[in-house]
Amino acid sequence: MLEIKNLHVKLEDEDKEILKGLSLTVPKGEVHAIMGPNGSGKSTLAHVLAGRDGYEVTEGEILWNGESLTELEPDERAAKGVFLAFQYPMEIPGVAGLTFLRTAANAVRKKRGEAELSTPEFLKLVRGKAEQLNIDMDMLKRPVNVGFSGGEKKRAEILQMAVLEPSLCVLDETDSGLDIDALKIVAEGVNALRSPDRAMLVITHYQRLLNYIVPDRVHVLSNGRIQASGGKDLALELEKSGYAAYQGKAA
Amino acid sequence: MSIAQQITTETKGRAAPVQVLKTKAETALAEAFAQAERSLPGGDWLRQLRRAAIGAFGAEGLPHRRVEEWKFTDLRAFMREAFPLATDAVLPKPAAIEELVRDALAGADLAKAFAVFVDGRGAGEAGLSAISEVDGAFLARLADHPPPWLEAEISEVGGHVGDSTLALNTALFTDGAVIDIANGREIDTPIALIFGDAGSESRTVATRNVVRVGKGAKIVLVESHLVPNAPRQVNTLTQLVIGDGAEVVHVKLVASREGSIHLGRTVARLGANASYRPFEMVVGNGVVRNDLAVTFRGQHSSFDLGGAKLVSGHGHADTTLVVDHAVPHCTSRELVKCVLADRGRGVFQGKVIVRPDAQKTDGKQMAQALMLSQDAEFDSKPELEIYADDVICGHGSTSAEIDPELIFYLRSRGIPLAEAQAMLVESFIGEAIDKAEPEEVQDALRALARGWLAREAQSAGK
Repeated sequence: MLEIKNLHVKLEDEDKEILKGLSLTVPKGEVHAIMGPNGSGKSTLAHVLAGRDGYEVTEGEILWNGESLTELEPDERAAKGVFLAFQYPMEIPGVAGLTFLRTAANAVRKKRGEAELSTPEFLKLVRGKAEQLNIDMDMLKRPVNVGFSGGEKKRAEILQMAVLEPSLCVLDETDSGLDIDALKIVAEGVNALRSPDRAMLVITHYQRLLNYIVPDRVHVLSNGRIQASGGKDLALELEKSGYAAYQGKAA
Repeated sequence: MSIAQQITTETKGRAAPVQVLKTKAETALAEAFAQAERSLPGGDWLRQLRRAAIGAFGAEGLPHRRVEEWKFTDLRAFMREAFPLATDAVLPKPAAIEELVRDALAGADLAKAFAVFVDGRGAGEAGLSAISEVDGAFLARLADHPPPWLEAEISEVGGHVGDSTLALNTALFTDGAVIDIANGREIDTPIALIFGDAGSESRTVATRNVVRVGKGAKIVLVESHLVPNAPRQVNTLTQLVIGDGAEVVHVKLVASREGSIHLGRTVARLGANASYRPFEMVVGNGVVRNDLAVTFRGQHSSFDLGGAKLVSGHGHADTTLVVDHAVPHCTSRELVKCVLADRGRGVFQGKVIVRPDAQKTDGKQMAQALMLSQDAEFDSKPELEIYADDVICGHGSTSAEIDPELIFYLRSRGIPLAEAQAMLVESFIGEAIDKAEPEEVQDALRALARGWLAREAQSAGK
């Protein structure tokens, strides 16, 4: 279970607070969506969960399965099962996709006390998952994300997620830059990973993605806090009425 | 070096050779020549050449920072003293030669065709392994009565006044490889020139290699200077004459160590429709200067340089290049990358001269550094001298730290910091190593880079 309690976050080198007492609980086996206007703190939340530098948690805590994440390095969080699918996946020239995937998979397995994958085991694993996501193995021989289209990058993110088998998946605006076909493929990939042992947090600006990844709960994030929570219908309502009604003030 | 030992005195900002005062190192080198002269190989022709050369060296002295070509590599400051000339080298045992051949470029099989030198001397019969297509010999054995072409080549590159380290090589070289490839020979097997050292004393070592590649011939030359066991001041020169339509790949590896200086030089002249693809790799924490002079003598030829330098400690790695587009329709490319740790310093100077007749010249250069430390330094100086009007010439240079966004991306996938950094450094340097050929050599260079990174990560973690 993910428990975020009264989380206050500011940029390290600026005094402006971005998250202002955010509280949220996502039980295992559930998919929660976070929707909110631009500048509400959605991406900050995603990055803070993954442990990115440059943010300072001034108050509150993040617990994953009862364990605090706030002091952990990003790779330690990954080993604990945290995975962030990036809104803008990075290009890494000179590092082949398969090398990257394998290094990551084995680093995570090592930290979890599991045996590293042999080359045939690894290739079998990747081939199966890549096929589901309509990713050509040749694409993975190329440098990570270099020259990929927006859709290819997002599919590659979901492939990484599938290979690393995280228990907490945070998807940061995974729908941005996707056409409808790519969106369907990505959503199918995500849905295939839904499991009773896995919690998912889907961050999005638009309701459209939630037609394909149907959430158990929807939260409205605005002005650094969760302003409202509800079932999947809340997303539809937001699509109609906009965020204006939820421009809450910080406590 | 004391001020009194300065070779010139400056008056009102203008260097005036009022009185030639030599530094300690310069004096020692001149004395070393006088003592060793009788024992240096070569007939009268070479003796005269050597005397002229030591005279030229004496007049100019060691280059220093006020000499434009050496402004970033103050050799006079680096070489406060000159080590004694290596004259005591003993013939290595076959097992030691095998070891040198194996270690010259670990992972690549160089055992088929090689010439091994220990402290500047050919390592006897066991030090020379030829394949039938290659005519190879030790220079020292030919120097008394060289074939006319060899005498002409050495004389052409040897007698220059105006470059004192080259003159010093001519004066002092004790041996080297002579390789003559007949017209039309295409040889896939790498031909390895391997330079090691013996003993525990500090020594000066000078070698000269002469490689002639006939028309339409193809070779892969691997020149490896192994990390010295004891401090070495090496002055080594490889001259290549590349015939019309010939293709030469030339991989040069220098493993350096603190307290050592490697002055390397390559002089290549290309005929028409020829291709010269050198790759230089420098690893370590010593002082390394590689001078590369390339002249196009025939049209439609190409030169493509790759470089990867991994510098740590107080290491210094300088690549200084002069490409002379003397004729039209030639192409030159340079991609040199430096990874600089600790107080490591990388230097790239790339001069491209396009002569008035050299229309349709196409030249591009790029020098890049990845700084792993706040104390590292990178100096890059392109110099384009273009006298023709219908040419494409460009240059670029970058220096940067590892992108923290990329580090976060890798770490978010579970890859620990040190490993993430190593991956990104490898990806940076890998783009340059991609240019090295053949594949076996490229893999070996990549492994070498990986080993360096692992050692760096380990020492950083301590």
